[in-house]
Amino acid sequence: MSTTMVAQSLASGILVGALYGLAAVGLSLVFGVTKILNVSHGELLMLGGYTSFWLFTLMGVDPFAGIPLSMFALVIIGLIVYQLLFSRLIKLPTEDKIRTSLLVGFGLGLVLQNVALRLWTADNRGITPSYAGAALTILGVRLPYVRVASLVIAFVFLVALQLFLQKTYTGKAIRATAQDWEAATLMGINVYRVYLLSFVLGTALAGAAGTLVAVGYSVEPVMGLHWTLKALIVLVMGGIGSIAGTLVGGLILGVTESAAAVWISGNYRHVVGLVIFILVLLVRPQGLFGAKEG
Amino acid sequence: MRTEKVMAIMTVLLVGALLVGCGPATPTPTQAPPTVAPTKAPPTAEPTKAPPPAPEYIEFGASIPLTGKYGALGAMVKPGYEIAVADINAQGGVYVAEYGKKIPIRLTIYDDESDPTKAVSKLETIYAEQNPVIFLGGAASDMHAATAAVAEKYKVPYLGIAFALYSIHQQGYRYLFSPFPKSPAQARDVFEILNASIPEGERPTKVAIFQETTDWGIELGNLWKENAPKYGYEVVVYETYAPRTEDMSAMILKAKEAGAETLLTVPAPPDGITMVKQMAELGWTPKFTLMIRAPENVTWGETMGKNGDYVTIFPGWHHAENFPGVAELNAKYQAQFGRPADLLTGPAYACVQIAAAAIEKAGTLDREAIRDAIAAINMMTVVGPVTFNADGTGNVLNPLVQWQNGKQELVWPPEHASAPLAYPAVPFDQR
Amino acid sequence: MTAKKGISLALLAVGVVVLLLIPRLGVSDSLLNLLILMFIYTMLATSWNILGGYTGQINLGHAAFFGLGTLAARMLYTAGRPLPLALLVAGIVPAVFSMLIGVPAFRLRLRGDYFTIGTLALSQILYITVGNVLPKITYLPMADIQNYQILPRYYIILALTLFTIGAAYALVKSRLGLGLVAVRENEDAAESLGVNAFAHKLLALAVSAFLGGLAGGAYAYYQASYYFNYTFSPPWSLEPVNMAFIGGVGTIHGPIIGAVFFVLLKEWLVLKVGEYHLIIFGVLFILVVLFLPGGLVEAWERIRRVIVRRTRAKVTVSPACARDNGLPGN
Repeated sequence: MSTTMVAQSLASGILVGALYGLAAVGLSLVFGVTKILNVSHGELLMLGGYTSFWLFTLMGVDPFAGIPLSMFALVIIGLIVYQLLFSRLIKLPTEDKIRTSLLVGFGLGLVLQNVALRLWTADNRGITPSYAGAALTILGVRLPYVRVASLVIAFVFLVALQLFLQKTYTGKAIRATAQDWEAATLMGINVYRVYLLSFVLGTALAGAAGTLVAVGYSVEPVMGLHWTLKALIVLVMGGIGSIAGTLVGGLILGVTESAAAVWISGNYRHVVGLVIFILVLLVRPQGLFGAKEG
Repeated sequence: MRTEKVMAIMTVLLVGALLVGCGPATPTPTQAPPTVAPTKAPPTAEPTKAPPPAPEYIEFGASIPLTGKYGALGAMVKPGYEIAVADINAQGGVYVAEYGKKIPIRLTIYDDESDPTKAVSKLETIYAEQNPVIFLGGAASDMHAATAAVAEKYKVPYLGIAFALYSIHQQGYRYLFSPFPKSPAQARDVFEILNASIPEGERPTKVAIFQETTDWGIELGNLWKENAPKYGYEVVVYETYAPRTEDMSAMILKAKEAGAETLLTVPAPPDGITMVKQMAELGWTPKFTLMIRAPENVTWGETMGKNGDYVTIFPGWHHAENFPGVAELNAKYQAQFGRPADLLTGPAYACVQIAAAAIEKAGTLDREAIRDAIAAINMMTVVGPVTFNADGTGNVLNPLVQWQNGKQELVWPPEHASAPLAYPAVPFDQR
Repeated sequence: MTAKKGISLALLAVGVVVLLLIPRLGVSDSLLNLLILMFIYTMLATSWNILGGYTGQINLGHAAFFGLGTLAARMLYTAGRPLPLALLVAGIVPAVFSMLIGVPAFRLRLRGDYFTIGTLALSQILYITVGNVLPKITYLPMADIQNYQILPRYYIILALTLFTIGAAYALVKSRLGLGLVAVRENEDAAESLGVNAFAHKLLALAVSAFLGGLAGGAYAYYQASYYFNYTFSPPWSLEPVNMAFIGGVGTIHGPIIGAVFFVLLKEWLVLKVGEYHLIIFGVLFILVVLFLPGGLVEAWERIRRVIVRRTRAKVTVSPACARDNGLPGN
């Protein structure tokens, strides 16, 4: 096995991992702030992918240029879903909220899957722009532009989100609500609006991730659970609500999977990720980068 | 105290249920006939009598995956059955000698959600409610493996396509018939076609096999590995992967480093798409690619763009085959879906043709007689001439289809071909 | 109270007798198959409910137990071992396996949501691994298929189902059951009263796994052919949760009602709306979760209360009625 190959696998792992991170960050944000565990996150991601697929095939919109549009579409969907369903759970005690949102998310996922099946058939759809396949070669390692762009986009989104949460008033309100919603209410923060905002932000990020999945891979109605699971793994590894942790968690997952494919067997790449995940759960349940909770 | 009482009641019930349950288990079942005698009986048992009142319909039952992961396959199969039934009924139905008249076919289709357990329960329902003389299968090997057992249970002849897994046919199923190419043919034909179409010296003799860890993937992978040296090919890379893999770079790089010129693989659609995308990104273009399954979807061309070209498939059928009835089928499909018939539509259509011909030949709606008629069939269909082996596999044409300029072209056999085999593949970055 | 219990017992007895007699009434095999499906789902939902409903630990990986049960039973049965042994092992294997996860998870007092996600991941690990190690279809012996007998399967699975319900009932009504509920309501308070939360949760997990595995054993005996890893796939985890919630979580009859309702509704929707049935099913499911958090059992309770109130109001206003009115509305 040549060193180039190892380097290439490492690079591929990082490129995949960034996408895992982006796929997970929306889920993490929503869960961290609202304590809604939306297991239909993968289905929302799927809708983002289909939106950009439609934009590309029907209107010729380049997928990367179309990201804002697919995010916007997901904002609308997020608003509807939140107002119709999840807003009803907001006042429940935390444990009940998690449990009920899980079930609602499951039902929603089922509905979205089958709506997608009606709209786009069961075929796998993907976007292959003219520049797909072109790559930058550094020391024999090929870095496909499309995937590098995905990495950059994921990184930009995560940094922007982090800055938003750190620097702006609204961002601070979101963080305050995540820490202690009762105290936040006393400080004059409208927590209901914060919940809504966080949820919609989460679905918008799913929209962006979905577009990148459609470019790098493909989308199909039954893909949701697979991506929800990846996102959950990354979320727990990175620590709930930690943006930087989510990115690093994603990268770790991506690199471990690639390493497993090289040194163990392609058959067990998913298993290795899951096993690490369970170990993290048991040894460091607050996540690799999460702060210890009270 | 209370607990003990409940436990006592439960134990009594349990024992009672077991006793009742074991009762009928030991005596011979009500409908189980002596296995040999009745197969020969029906033809002679009915002497010249006035024909009995004919049933209103000949019942066919099908359970097809219309939703779930095999939905794309089911979507190609269903219209094939429906158009065939409509065509036969337009002629008045199937002539059944026993009743001295033509009887139309009634086809009952249920969606099994790509779930083998549900498929079984759907066929059970159809059996109970329609009492069908023929079962038509859905798609994909795991679905067929489950549903063929129902056919076996009730002794209903079962015609199924859209699966190449050979091991199903080695279970001793008597009622399962599949007019569809199987793994052994696919593993042999690829090398024969290559050797017949490419002069020695230019052949892509270094082979990479990417084997999916599923029974069909393993079956075909092993057969390819076994056959390659017989035809002058060398397997330089044999890699395995689990379904739904995001990163195939390790496999692709090994193939690239080994200088492989041919890729043989059977990925599911999402994996096939990822594979070709990453092959393009990593700059590995095999001169010849046989990728069964993923590129069968009609949307492959749209999804992959130019990178989807040059890939070949063994789909079992193609609408360019010039057998009788294909042009009419294409016209009807075109009217409904705006394109010529899809790859699985022809074989599905042929299943109904075979079933109808067998019923006519049997001259009765007795399922055992129909089964024997299917087993002995020798007829022309939209997939060409069909006969069956003792294990239920069909002797059918195994055409090779290649994606060229975003279209599926039939490239083998030459007498049906719509385009010649494009070889070698142009490297991804020069397309 | 006692009168009510008497009625329930009578209803139960009638139900069981009907189920015992149904195959004698010359009904079609398809009805028996539908009933068997209901039995297996009832076992799954009931076994899930022991952990999920009574201790509040939501397990999203019940397929791991079900799958291990099918695997063990199928291996033994197709190897020619007697059925009772196969069924017993089908329960024991997942029960032992559950200890491997239960001990660390409960010892560390893993948060509920982490337990939930962890079990989901665990079932996924088994799903993929079994798919890798045994990537093939398992068939019942050909002699079994060609002479497939539904009746013994019907009665044996019915017996297993009654056993599962009985075991769940016995556990829940025992001192242990009260301990479980105490742990669910407030773990710290329960501990301070001398309830060993760790042991209670572990026991609930083991029983849940054993009975889930038994359901797997029933499936392995029933189903003619399937992929080995199919029984580890996510639907087998998610559907029992659905059924328990639809019926009414944390009650004995809830999961049973849920399973029956689930199977019938799906069957009916498939016939009525064809390819759209899953959309409608999803919507109905969400509605139940949002507006009937106690499931059908609670809905029935509410209706019953309204009826009782109406009829009593006509006579006199009794203190009992006032108490009924005082119950929380949602």
